[in-house]
Amino acid sequence: MFLKTELQSGVNLYTRQTAQFKTVSVAIKFTAPLTEENAASRTVLANVLEDSSAQYPTRTKLRQALEELYGAVYYADTGKRGNEHIFTIYAESVNEEYLRNPEVPVFEQLLALVTESLFKPNLTDGVFDEAIVEREKQTVIDRIGSVYNDKTRFANKRMLELIRSGQPASQSASGTEKALSAITKESLKATYDQMLSEDTIDIYILGDVDTDQLTNRAETLFPFTKEIRNSIPVTATTTSGKAPTAKHIRERQDMKQGKLNMAFSTPVGFNHPDYPKMQMMNGVLGGFAHSKLFINVREKESLAYYCSSSYASHYGLLYIMSGIDAEQEEKTAALINQQIEALRNGDISDLEIRQTLALLSNSIRSSFDSAKGQIEIYDQYKLLDENFSADKLIRNWERVTKEDIQEMATLLTKEITYLLSGREAMDHE
Amino acid sequence: MNKIHFDQLQETLYHKKLDNGLNVYVLPKKGFSKTYVTFTTKYGSVDRTFIPRGGNELVTVPDGIAHFLEHKMFEKEDGDVFQQFSENAAAANAFTSFTRTSYLFSSTSELYENTKTLLDFVQQPYFTEKTVEKEKGIIAQEITMYDDQADWRQYFGTIENLFENHPVRIDIAGTVETIQDITAEHLYECYETFYHPSNMVFFAVGNVDPEEMLRFVEQDQQEKTFEAPEPVVRNFPDEPDYAAKKRDELYMDVSKPKLMVGTKCRNTDMSGKEMLSRELASDVTLDILFGRSSEFFTQAYNDGLIDESFSYEFNLENGFGFAAIGSDTEKPEELEKLIKSVLDNAKNNWSISDDQLERIRKKRIGLFMRALNSPEYIANQFTHYNFNDMNLFDVVPVLEGLTTDQLKAAFDDLYYEDGQTIMTIYPSEQAK
Repeated sequence: MFLKTELQSGVNLYTRQTAQFKTVSVAIKFTAPLTEENAASRTVLANVLEDSSAQYPTRTKLRQALEELYGAVYYADTGKRGNEHIFTIYAESVNEEYLRNPEVPVFEQLLALVTESLFKPNLTDGVFDEAIVEREKQTVIDRIGSVYNDKTRFANKRMLELIRSGQPASQSASGTEKALSAITKESLKATYDQMLSEDTIDIYILGDVDTDQLTNRAETLFPFTKEIRNSIPVTATTTSGKAPTAKHIRERQDMKQGKLNMAFSTPVGFNHPDYPKMQMMNGVLGGFAHSKLFINVREKESLAYYCSSSYASHYGLLYIMSGIDAEQEEKTAALINQQIEALRNGDISDLEIRQTLALLSNSIRSSFDSAKGQIEIYDQYKLLDENFSADKLIRNWERVTKEDIQEMATLLTKEITYLLSGREAMDHE
Repeated sequence: MNKIHFDQLQETLYHKKLDNGLNVYVLPKKGFSKTYVTFTTKYGSVDRTFIPRGGNELVTVPDGIAHFLEHKMFEKEDGDVFQQFSENAAAANAFTSFTRTSYLFSSTSELYENTKTLLDFVQQPYFTEKTVEKEKGIIAQEITMYDDQADWRQYFGTIENLFENHPVRIDIAGTVETIQDITAEHLYECYETFYHPSNMVFFAVGNVDPEEMLRFVEQDQQEKTFEAPEPVVRNFPDEPDYAAKKRDELYMDVSKPKLMVGTKCRNTDMSGKEMLSRELASDVTLDILFGRSSEFFTQAYNDGLIDESFSYEFNLENGFGFAAIGSDTEKPEELEKLIKSVLDNAKNNWSISDDQLERIRKKRIGLFMRALNSPEYIANQFTHYNFNDMNLFDVVPVLEGLTTDQLKAAFDDLYYEDGQTIMTIYPSEQAK
């Protein structure tokens, strides 16, 4: 779907000319190994680059320039995928074809703003501005702290820390408070230099623009130094070997609902041949409103508003999350376990398989209906197959049988049952 | 059939009003794989006092009923409608807001099977005491989940403080207590009153042939029998031009205090282009005063009064309107002072320049154009506007015509003596 051009070893450009959207998008992705220090300092760098540039040295000037470009989007953020840390700059503007009398070529100007901000950042005496760095460190520390306010997310984060402490599965893409506090204006400049010279880089341009012309200009637009960039071997960080004894942990906070979660490990990761089978199994179990968890825990027993499973293929983990009355913990946990047992016993109807295949197919096809969706899905799947398409993925799911799903369920090893609930419940124990 | 072409946007909207009063709209989008289809009634949480169809006296129903009804529409005698959608490869959902209830699906195949499922399940109610009782446990967990969300509590706390009588002050889902009073009989009464096709809009957008879809919906509706359209009579209490409660606070298990300034709109009895201008003028004014390029933002961010959670929004419906400005903050008192000083300064020394207006005008035009990439945005926003006699596709021309005088008039109705409230959430350990 994207046309690939290798600009130099480790730096690739992917373009797609399409009239589907009223916008033109550009994304630049820098990939490095995931460590606490990398995560912390690259996340602060994302905020600092988004703040200002040599050309627009204050936040207000940069934001006003974007407003003049018809509210163009420009931001930088970070994420993780297996053992990789990914720094992404994303920008998008309206295609000027849809504007009445635009005074300037909007996308060209946005592209100039983005590349200027990347290659000519706002430096003072060769390093970043101290006040900006300190403020953005605090912003990222606050962001990490705010996970606490969303009890659904917090419960899942705690559960992962309990089973995968210090490992990629539980590490935050924004680093830790300790690693964030250690950042200085000098260390951040070193991070910036290293990112530009050592990371593998993927650039995406998508929209109704002359992609040939942009490809020809790519080396001038993106003058990355010709250094050796070591791509990180993508490994799904699955654990194999002996099955641990499942933990059962209860924690308390001042809250009303009980969050009952479970985690299972599986040897099947993103790049495992059985990956499509595991996706199907997850769909039958808890990915949708026809799934066993929704039907049995919510619809039949009225125990929860949400009860679903999700497959974290890059970490070889499957989570189940539910929001319940904490008094119903045992009953709900037993019902969830029954659903897994049902799968292991082959209690899987043709209808469940058909529905799951239909909704997985719908979901992958629909994700191509946004520019960002096209970039993100392609960026993920290109690792498996550069010529990947939705149809190929769907064909893989079509081949999955009831016996495959049953087998996948037997490969799940429960590692933990985790309940986060209110203090009231504790008081009358 | 009406065919309305929007030249600059390069979009064509197809419309037909059917004999039973249903408005059907179709907007084809080239290159898209999916079709997003919504079927929406002009019935939300604020519609709690009304004359039931066939009756002649006002009734008031239990809080949370519109949302409860939305849940119960999915259950039929022969099972759950989600099963049918899944089998035909559609992701289905529904939502209830203050003023509308929307049922929807998105699919990349079997468009007409799914459209038929949507039309049928929304037009064939099935409520029994048993299924109603069963739903109470599920909705109680939904309400409890929101009770733990500090952002949600703060937002609804702000609205509750602002309004003394208007039912917008009541939580959309009701409370665990109020939903206990809901019966199947209530649900039928609300259904009969508000789900007549003449009170509804059907919108399909994406990979769809407009004429075929219009024919399909028309034929389906002709095969069903409906009573004659009747206007819905709703009743709303008088609402004064001041905030019911000037200030309130809550203690929750959060990492940092949260402050929200709410301000209540007066003169909200409007519709059509007047309302659209008012809404856009208010949005633009707030953007100039509080947006990321504003003096306020730079100062508040540099002084550590706000963080990434800072946001502001404006909501306007016929009969109520409000703005909410808030952030997580270690210094709620200082942030409150700064926000108030920005608002006071705008009131006493109005100084929005043409340059500022031009820049934000461009920004908002771009924002709208980008939003047209999203079938979800088009269908939901179009329907919302349609229920207030506004047209989504007037947004650009209205933005192009906005003047600083209109901004000033919008601001005068948004910020005036006694029309504000402050809602603060403190971490539990700060409880006195």
